[in-house]
Amino acid sequence: MAANIYIGEILENEEIQEDCFLMKVKTAPSFQNPLPGQFVMIRIAGLNDPFLSRPISIYSFSRNENYCVIELLYRVVGKGTQIMAGLIEDSQVEINGPLGNGFNIQSVKENIVIVSGGIGIAPLSLLIEYLRQRDDCSSSEMIIYPGFQSASAVIGLDKMQKLCRNITVCTDDGTLGNKGFVTQIFQKDMKKYTPENTSLYACGPKEMLKALAKILHNTKFDCQVSLEERMACGTGACVGCAVAVKDKQGDPAYKRVCADGPVFNLTDIIWE
Amino acid sequence: MKTKTSPHMAVNLGRLKLNNPVMTASGTFGYGEEYAGYVDLNKLGAIVVKGLSLKPRLGNPPPRIMETTGGMLNAVGLQNIGVDAFIEEKLPFLRQYDAAVIANIYGETYDEFKKVAKKLSSANGVHALEVNISCPNVKKGGVSFGTDPKIAATITRMVKDETGLPVIVKLTPNVTDIAAIAEAVEKAGADALSLINTLTGMSVDLKTRRPHLKNITGGLSGPAIKPVALRMVWQVVRRVSVPVIGIGGIMTAQDALEFLILGAKAVQIGTANFVNPRATMDVVEGIKQYLAENKIKDINEIIGTFQP
Repeated sequence: MAANIYIGEILENEEIQEDCFLMKVKTAPSFQNPLPGQFVMIRIAGLNDPFLSRPISIYSFSRNENYCVIELLYRVVGKGTQIMAGLIEDSQVEINGPLGNGFNIQSVKENIVIVSGGIGIAPLSLLIEYLRQRDDCSSSEMIIYPGFQSASAVIGLDKMQKLCRNITVCTDDGTLGNKGFVTQIFQKDMKKYTPENTSLYACGPKEMLKALAKILHNTKFDCQVSLEERMACGTGACVGCAVAVKDKQGDPAYKRVCADGPVFNLTDIIWE
Repeated sequence: MKTKTSPHMAVNLGRLKLNNPVMTASGTFGYGEEYAGYVDLNKLGAIVVKGLSLKPRLGNPPPRIMETTGGMLNAVGLQNIGVDAFIEEKLPFLRQYDAAVIANIYGETYDEFKKVAKKLSSANGVHALEVNISCPNVKKGGVSFGTDPKIAATITRMVKDETGLPVIVKLTPNVTDIAAIAEAVEKAGADALSLINTLTGMSVDLKTRRPHLKNITGGLSGPAIKPVALRMVWQVVRRVSVPVIGIGGIMTAQDALEFLILGAKAVQIGTANFVNPRATMDVVEGIKQYLAENKIKDINEIIGTFQP
């Protein structure tokens, strides 16, 4: 248990796309290196409304001798993120993290296929960054399917392009790249991959993950997905962020997105 | 930052002796492990663990929580690993610490309350039981046990018959006269009372015109309920002679002191743990600081000193 509470100082908090912000937070060097897929609970120091902290996945991370920089890519969806978006340089935030279990990347196959929807690109970006630095992945082919609603909603693509060449951008309305849902475009390409040679990772809206689950149903593909849920504590105590999954015996159980996840095997998730 | 004149913080709740009056509230601190990285568990008066039932409980379908102004609603539905798994997997961890371990128990039937109480009584490392007759999210026959003085008293008596441990009964605020329930469970043998549990509430999604919680209703907690909790503690301490533990919206030492001054012998910190994992430590240190500043040597000197 190496997560802890840190005071963060905002270096940058920029609207990079309508309602999407990139926040760079400087914090103490004792902040543990996060694994891709991990998140932080962030709250505005001294503010009690909104009452709860907000869970945001880590988009990028760097450190030097004197401090760490945590980058958070987030979308304004409600009161909490609205207030976050208004924070200016040098404002203080409280950061609890890194929290949760990241993607399991102990063994990576020849093809690393990544499917993202909207802001779901954030934790996957850290994953790509991380895998790119790993020697044992240098021979793997990385193929990325970033999906967005339209060209005007594209985020995080520039960073991906720096890290990876094989990118198939999809937009629902066809204003950029392939027209259609990212899951449909991925499905068309599926014959290129086999379960034996492919590591599959995804993050995005529930409907997208549901569609992906349908596509992969009755195939042998393993797909790790990072989920998002409303949380109170982020540490596993409140059991508020429940997701229905099949346990080892195949029986339904509620797992905590924060402490048991946020990364789950797609096939384990029980959709409503 | 202890000084030589560190005030005396120990309190006695009848037979239950605590190093200080600060406990965690059930359901907000897991089984202790979840916060061990943030909090020195030795410095807590007691850890009240997440409610335990005879068999593991799945809990309610999500969404289970919703933020509200100054608080939150939850309808977790007592998801827990069951009493046997608690004793086997969680209790050994908790035994390492100085903090008293209080097992919060829940049953759907009288018999389940009895069986859970019995199992915990013979387990090494449990210092007291807290009987949850008040969870608003789990109902049997449409009524929560804690709203009926007769049923509340019956459960209390049954648990008492099964255990030699001190029995704390946790009361629901969702009643007309909480003092009447308090008197009934005191008469039935409760060693202490803890109050309040959450207030039943709702929240509506304007987009869908549906409830934010799948369970429709949930328990409101957080600073929004503190004034209600204070009022109820005040009503109860005047009517019973057993120790009362104050719960409800405590975020800071100042909040805790309000309960202590009213006559609560101890306090539980609940929802505050979610927003500040170190809340319990801040409260302990803050109380000490208040006592030192006011030249009070012993916490017991301020308990029940309220002047209406």
